[in-house]
Amino acid sequence: MLFDLIKLTKNTLSIPKKNIKNQQPLMRLKVLLAENNHVKAKELMSVLSTAQYDIYHIGHSGLPLLKDVEQLNPDVIIIDIESPDRDMLENLNQIAKFAPKPIVVFSEQQNTDTTINQMVKSGVSAYVVGDVSQVRVKSIIDVAIARFDVFQELKQELADTKQKLSSQKNIDKAKRWLMETKQLSELDAYHFIRKIAMDNSQKMDDVAKNILSVASIF
Amino acid sequence: MFNVEKKSICLGFMPLTDSAPVVIAHEMGFFEKWGLNVKLTKQNSWTTLRDKLHSGIIDAAQMLAPMPIASNLGLYGENAKVISPMILSRNGNGITLSTKLYQKILSQHNNKASMPFSASLLRREISERKKQGDKLTFAVVFPYSCHYYQLIEWLRKGGITLSDINMLIVPPSNMVPSMHSGDLDGFCVGSPWNAKAVRESVGITGVTSSDLWQDMPEKVLGLMSDWQAKHPQTTSALISALYEACQWLENIPNRFEAARILSRARYLDTQIDVIAPSLIGSCLTLNNTTPRKIPSYHQFSSLKDPTFNAPAYKSAETIADLMQECGQINAQQRTELNIASIYKKDIYRTAFNT
Repeated sequence: MLFDLIKLTKNTLSIPKKNIKNQQPLMRLKVLLAENNHVKAKELMSVLSTAQYDIYHIGHSGLPLLKDVEQLNPDVIIIDIESPDRDMLENLNQIAKFAPKPIVVFSEQQNTDTTINQMVKSGVSAYVVGDVSQVRVKSIIDVAIARFDVFQELKQELADTKQKLSSQKNIDKAKRWLMETKQLSELDAYHFIRKIAMDNSQKMDDVAKNILSVASIF
Repeated sequence: MFNVEKKSICLGFMPLTDSAPVVIAHEMGFFEKWGLNVKLTKQNSWTTLRDKLHSGIIDAAQMLAPMPIASNLGLYGENAKVISPMILSRNGNGITLSTKLYQKILSQHNNKASMPFSASLLRREISERKKQGDKLTFAVVFPYSCHYYQLIEWLRKGGITLSDINMLIVPPSNMVPSMHSGDLDGFCVGSPWNAKAVRESVGITGVTSSDLWQDMPEKVLGLMSDWQAKHPQTTSALISALYEACQWLENIPNRFEAARILSRARYLDTQIDVIAPSLIGSCLTLNNTTPRKIPSYHQFSSLKDPTFNAPAYKSAETIADLMQECGQINAQQRTELNIASIYKKDIYRTAFNT
């Protein structure tokens, strides 16, 4: 009825963001500005829209805002720290496996630079404090996106490394089983697995898993 | 009396009925009595409240009971050493279904549905929607909240899994408008928002958290560990003042006064006839019908049991188990979790032993 969140995740994840940037440097980033105060929104828009951003302003809150996020699929969401919608947007990926977006939060509170740094460290993508019409807003958003991309890459790297470790374990186990039951040397066992993998265009990990599942029957 | 290291304290709270302990400690002069000058700052989102506590913009916060665990494990953002030396309230949540969905369910079950409402009654509607490629949509206020675990538990008891429904995070004050617009079929939220949905005839409250888990800790006092280490006397003063407020709230005649104070713009900014019922143990179910009597709807303290407000390891372990069951933490995180280093009974005791 409401959202097809899973589908959206797939669409988003199938296009690595970094590649888009490298191949099409002129690609404009979609920025969703969730701000009920129109004066403030206008100021921010005038700073941002000049450069590489396509900026969309949404003046309403609650679930209608979520629908716009789904429809627009923005690269960045900018929201005021005092907005109640923050929980809804920041936790999309926790509940619905929605593609996470960097969220830049701005605030009119005159916090010191140290506090801002602390806030950013504690999970907020970036803080824009004080007068939003300043040119530095743009650079802060650039940094926020870069930071977010690095974080996503690290997450992907960790997942890849875990995957590699687990496939190495499978291959080792399968090798051991072959060595014990077929009296093969370690090198022969390895070649045996590799040959099956090449003949069937499979990954060695998958072949090892098959061997282990056969082994478990005996 | 304590020799407080810091007199001016900034305390963050969310506008909910169970913010009563911090509001009453302020309004009834308990903070002042214990040598503190506390500024209450209303927050609009749990994420912002958390960020402000982590970064020291606020000194203390009224938090959801699972939040200190989530902060310690860095389940969102960087991990931060948040501790809780005190339970501020137990129970207080309810599950509300839209009137539209309720009427449909009644028509599917010969107009029979008793309270507390069983989630198994939803199964027929869920399977009918499945045929059309559709799901019921529910919302809770935060992923690391008792609301989330309570809604899942209620559905599980009725033979429904999380994959059978859509689940969203919606801020408490947006629940009722989202039900009006037809976007939500149900939600689990704290008072007064269930009563608000009933008063506006848009929802029916079928279950309270007292029906699901009696006396589960709901809101706790949250502090940064290093802040507490620097301000042990101030912490004791805070605990003493809040304990006095919790005790004050256990006198039912005081509860109406609490409702009147909470209805003010700087707190909940809502009508008293929406706030008062749950505070006096009345659960509005359907508008203009007899309410259900739920004496423990809000438990702030116990006049008999002084340990009621002490951090409870057993409940905290239960919360951690629920986090694991929901896939929020893995087995290793669960095993390595040291509950006693987060929920600090010793700090609570110190406040009363000096």
